[in-house]
Amino acid sequence: MSRLQKGKKAIKQMYEKKEKLQEDAKDNAERLKQLFSYGINKDFSYKQLVADYNKKKIYLFFYASIVNSDKIEEFIIKPIHEGEGDKLSKIINTRDLIEITDFEQATDDINNGKIVLLMEGDSIGYSMEVSDFKHRAISQPANESVIRGPKEAFTESLFVNISLVRKQIRDKQLITEQSSVGTRSKQSVVLVYVSDIVNDEILKNVRERIESIEVDTVRNVELLEQYIEERPYSIFPSILYTERPDNAGAYLEDGHIILLMDNSAACLILPVTFWDLFHSPEDRYSRFIFGNFTRAIRFFSFYITTMISAAYVSLANFHSEMIPPDLLFAITAAREYVPFPLIVEILLMEFAFELIREAGIRIPNPLGPTIGIVGALILGQAAVEANIISPIIVIVAALSGLTSFVIADTSLNYTVRISRFIFILSAAFLGMLSLVGVFLLWFMYAASLKSFGVPFFAPLAPYYKSSGDTMFRKALRAEIWRPSHIKPKDLHKKQRK
Amino acid sequence: MHDQKTLKASEMFTMIGLFIGMKVTDTTPTLFAQKAQNAFWLIPIISFLVILPSFFLLIYLLKKAQNKNLMELIESLIGSKLGKTLGFLIFLSSFLLMCLDSRSYVEQIKLLYFPASPTTVLFFLFLCVVFFGAKKGLEVIGFTVKTSFLFIKLSALLLALLISVEIVWQRIFPIFGSGLSTILKEGALKGSIFSEFFLLTIAYTSFKDTKQFRIGTLFGVIFVIIEITFFFFVYATVFDYNSIEKASFPFHDITQYVQLGEYFANIETFFMVFWLLAGFLRFIIYIYLITWIFGAVFNISEFEPLILPFSFITLIIGMVPDNSVINELLFRDMLLNYVTPLFVLFPVILWIVALSRGALKK
Repeated sequence: MSRLQKGKKAIKQMYEKKEKLQEDAKDNAERLKQLFSYGINKDFSYKQLVADYNKKKIYLFFYASIVNSDKIEEFIIKPIHEGEGDKLSKIINTRDLIEITDFEQATDDINNGKIVLLMEGDSIGYSMEVSDFKHRAISQPANESVIRGPKEAFTESLFVNISLVRKQIRDKQLITEQSSVGTRSKQSVVLVYVSDIVNDEILKNVRERIESIEVDTVRNVELLEQYIEERPYSIFPSILYTERPDNAGAYLEDGHIILLMDNSAACLILPVTFWDLFHSPEDRYSRFIFGNFTRAIRFFSFYITTMISAAYVSLANFHSEMIPPDLLFAITAAREYVPFPLIVEILLMEFAFELIREAGIRIPNPLGPTIGIVGALILGQAAVEANIISPIIVIVAALSGLTSFVIADTSLNYTVRISRFIFILSAAFLGMLSLVGVFLLWFMYAASLKSFGVPFFAPLAPYYKSSGDTMFRKALRAEIWRPSHIKPKDLHKKQRK
Repeated sequence: MHDQKTLKASEMFTMIGLFIGMKVTDTTPTLFAQKAQNAFWLIPIISFLVILPSFFLLIYLLKKAQNKNLMELIESLIGSKLGKTLGFLIFLSSFLLMCLDSRSYVEQIKLLYFPASPTTVLFFLFLCVVFFGAKKGLEVIGFTVKTSFLFIKLSALLLALLISVEIVWQRIFPIFGSGLSTILKEGALKGSIFSEFFLLTIAYTSFKDTKQFRIGTLFGVIFVIIEITFFFFVYATVFDYNSIEKASFPFHDITQYVQLGEYFANIETFFMVFWLLAGFLRFIIYIYLITWIFGAVFNISEFEPLILPFSFITLIIGMVPDNSVINELLFRDMLLNYVTPLFVLFPVILWIVALSRGALKK
């Protein structure tokens, strides 16, 4: 049997039996080497030293690729060689020397970048935090840029992210509670909340959902989101995904819960409502009038992007009397040489726009300008000249495409883009009748949704006391309440005079 | 944690405003104009006065009984058997009214906007939307109505503003049109155009607290009667007696009259959108409440699955009249007349029973 297979068998045994560390450290060391396929697994390191103070052998295990070797040298190897004292814990004098008694914990610790230490004649082992996972430096947010406001974004390291959040809220009640997901590769999930504001029931609910995840691995928050959300098949998101620590901080202050994980340059905020998905942090950083102006534009865009194509189809096909005669003549004249029905034209163009958009994300940077040429020249001008589509469709599709970018949140953006196609198809069916019907059902569906028990259109419908930050926001000084739909323990934002 | 009731007075107000306020835009004014011509705008006031004492009596009884909804109240006062019979009568009359009413809506959609499409298909589509909407439950209906209420009423107000140039207010004279007796008789007979008030009381206990229900109802009732009278007045003064009888759908006729400047000459589709939205919502409320009453009569606590068969039956009964004229002037007219005494009398009977039993003294 090869060493690799032996290792696999050993791991299986370990999990099944919950194997304890044995009396003899040498046996334990052999077992650990077997578990980690020592020799094949090249970055798995094993060192044997002799402690100076009691002349006993000490075995060290760690992954060379994820630990800080300077730290090991300075805080472990050097004290072992030179330190004086009567106990190991006095010689290695760091705060996080943890005793371990079974192999499962030992392997988990090694996997998490800790060093495991076994000593001859001792049936317990020790582990110590020396991890140094590589990560990107803190950079600017890539997808949620603002003109005014901080330009720091989360990075892929959990510790850095927690530090960025702590930087926003310096409150002793800001709790970072750690739990883990995954059975094979255990990743830690950190729940962040302000303990004297957050609602305990929601917190319990979130904890339970995280605990109930039974999968081999959950690598990052993007996957975690899909495991904890209530309706995985819904077109509406129920969790806010943001890469901005300042945004996370704002929600924490209101009593929301934040989830952080390694490997994600973003966090999850929950529970959220439609308005939270709809807002951009910029709205609050701008002054009252400016912020509300952008809100108004965003609402208008929201309407345009979901409805303009559908409205055009339904007006041109079923209610042409609504279009002023001059314009109607122009439309008819432009469509004269186009061989397709109107709905095909619209779908073609909308689909082409989605293509450009998707390709724009996937295309390697040096080829970027190509997209512009393809989009503008070929799809726009050439298609019109070839009589594949009429010019007015280009305007409609361009408007509906452009306005869709105004929706800042990426999840809600998908919702809007998918809804647009639903509305176009329904408008093609029976004009305004079917369009209004489908819109009503779409709206009622959204109104019936809940994110962790919070109605999707709260605090507007149903009405709850809140800071009034929904369609438009109030002046910051007038914001007295936290959103009461998430039932915070402390509803007052500040004491009223 | 959010299982508690969230409906408040504003939802009740808007629900009444849409549910009964929609009478303005359907064929009810046509029905009245047949008999009373230019004075038909007075009929709703008479009907309102006829039905109002009974309605307030019912609200008073509900308040006394505290946490009981319509059916629970009836059964507790006049016993299970009689109560269920009465409940079934209320259900049956309202259900039939709804079937004919929905047919009249579908006829309007068909005649005005989709003349080439078969009525059955339009009716089916209409009921599909109503069914899926009603499935979402009372709270979602309440929120949706609340959100859309402002837009719907603003569009109506815009219409009233645009048509104001056509109004010749002298046309209301002679003030009693074809005679005071006709108006009084018709008004009294058509009390049932406000029968929807009674249906809403089945939801009495579903609000955050019953006070919210009463406040919402009070303001809703005031709003609705003002709105209906105002719009009927507008119709009477725009059309005059020669054409008012022939105007089949006054609301839609008016939308075809108005124009937004010189450029947008035909803007009826704009109003149609809001009208459709309101129409869908009205029947969503309607079918939900009726199914609820049915469920309460037959002790079916999970009544929402019944919405599907009821939608289907609505389609079948609604298709019985051959055309809109028969539907309107024969069936609906007759039914409205027959149903009025039921709604006027039953709260009075309940009140007498409660009084004789001493149930009101508690």
